[in-house]
Amino acid sequence: MKRILQSRPYEFMIQFTPQREWIERRGILVWLALYFIELGAGTFIVSSIFGVLPGMFVGWLICAVLGGGLHLLYLGRPGRAWRMIISSGWKTSWMSRGLYFVVTFLVLGSVQMILTQRLSSTTGLLIITDFFAFCTVAYAGFVMNFVNGIQLWNTALLPALFTLSGVWGGIGLSIVVASSTGAEMIAIRLEPWTQVFLMGYAFIISTYLVSVRYSGLAGRFSVRNMLTGKWGMLFWGLVVSFGILFPVGATFLLRVQSSIIANTFLYILIFFELLGDLSLRYCILRCGYYQPMIPSTNFSF
Amino acid sequence: MRWGMVINLTKCVGCYACAISCKQEYFLPPGMMWSRLLISEIGQYPRVARQTYPVLCNHCKEPLCTKVCPTGASQRREDGIISVNADKCVGCRYCLIVCPYQARSYFQKRKEYFPGQGLTEFEKVGEKLYPLQHGVVYKCDFCSKRIDDGIKKGMKPGIDREATPVCVLSCPTKARVFGDLDDPNSEVAILRGSRKAIQLRPEYCTDPSVYYILG
Repeated sequence: MKRILQSRPYEFMIQFTPQREWIERRGILVWLALYFIELGAGTFIVSSIFGVLPGMFVGWLICAVLGGGLHLLYLGRPGRAWRMIISSGWKTSWMSRGLYFVVTFLVLGSVQMILTQRLSSTTGLLIITDFFAFCTVAYAGFVMNFVNGIQLWNTALLPALFTLSGVWGGIGLSIVVASSTGAEMIAIRLEPWTQVFLMGYAFIISTYLVSVRYSGLAGRFSVRNMLTGKWGMLFWGLVVSFGILFPVGATFLLRVQSSIIANTFLYILIFFELLGDLSLRYCILRCGYYQPMIPSTNFSF
Repeated sequence: MRWGMVINLTKCVGCYACAISCKQEYFLPPGMMWSRLLISEIGQYPRVARQTYPVLCNHCKEPLCTKVCPTGASQRREDGIISVNADKCVGCRYCLIVCPYQARSYFQKRKEYFPGQGLTEFEKVGEKLYPLQHGVVYKCDFCSKRIDDGIKKGMKPGIDREATPVCVLSCPTKARVFGDLDDPNSEVAILRGSRKAIQLRPEYCTDPSVYYILG
């Protein structure tokens, strides 16, 4: 028999209660949608700055098809999505704002790509498009940051972390597209940036976890769960080992031996970086716990 | 006007009458509860106490759920009741996530109370009377239909039975009191002031309209 949500009445909101709507069953689509929206927009920004038109297209496509499509699939009533456009929810809702950012980015992005294809000078439009792409990268962090019942999410570092990882993922994907479409020089120029962003990413993750650890009991519980609990293997295995340490270590060793990294190996490194980032978002969604609503000494930690 | 409720925990016996009457009144399907009882233990053996908190939507004065709703389906009415317009809800569940009291329920599809045996006559009646839409969020609305209908008939919610939420009516110890918090002469306003009633988790700054008297 399928498990009924909140079927343990003696734990619900008495102990730390996990959020389930955005990670379990169809909620898994939210995890993927938020990731692909940011990855796509990040790729578009980086590719547009370095002039990689195929990269812009790939980023736009990921954002529209994977990001937008998965978001629509998650909705209980996708046929009513148009209501999000006509309502005045953007005044207070980050989800509504996000929709405006994504739609504006996709429209301007398509115009930008057409004009770039025709070799027109489009610097003004590029700046506006990249601004909306940047907002698209950043909004998911604010969507989650607004939830003050979950201390793991309710921190200003979360939007910063998501924005940085979105752009970082974008650099990685732009390198892959650039080097596989013959723009080797651009890929070489981009490669050092992945290292810089990787360092920043590692720094923000550690700062984020430390700050949440001291934000309150629920934050402490969430961080403990992520680092040493059920999801510890995922965090240390995929996020830290494969997503951060392996790319840093491998790049360092290869740099000592030769100045250029083989394309295939670079692709593998980028794949692991993206996989690590995706896993981190899973951990963050999975370890989001609500504070107990009433006093109790029967906490499970 | 701001409808609110005061729940006297010294009177509550934890009988679940409020939760069951709500479920019965609205024919709520399995897995959906608008009124609940939270039961916790405090203290260490041998000095242990059991606490019972009946909870429902707090109908906050500064609600987070209405702020995050991308379609405007969740609204705060002039009388303070937070309502969900099911026809406008897109089913994003942001309101459900953002509610720190976890008072909302998402209706995916109707499940049978007796799996594999089809809907009972009771459930069929419920489907006709309260046809819940799939893929939409629902919550306690302080029995707003009863309140609105009662007011139209010249009744006073909290005093006249027909215009009062069912959880208040079903409480055998009269632990729940309903009324207008803005009316200084109402029983809820007097109880709130004289018995030093508290709100759940005031640190969220949502200013709930449900108060608790601890004793």
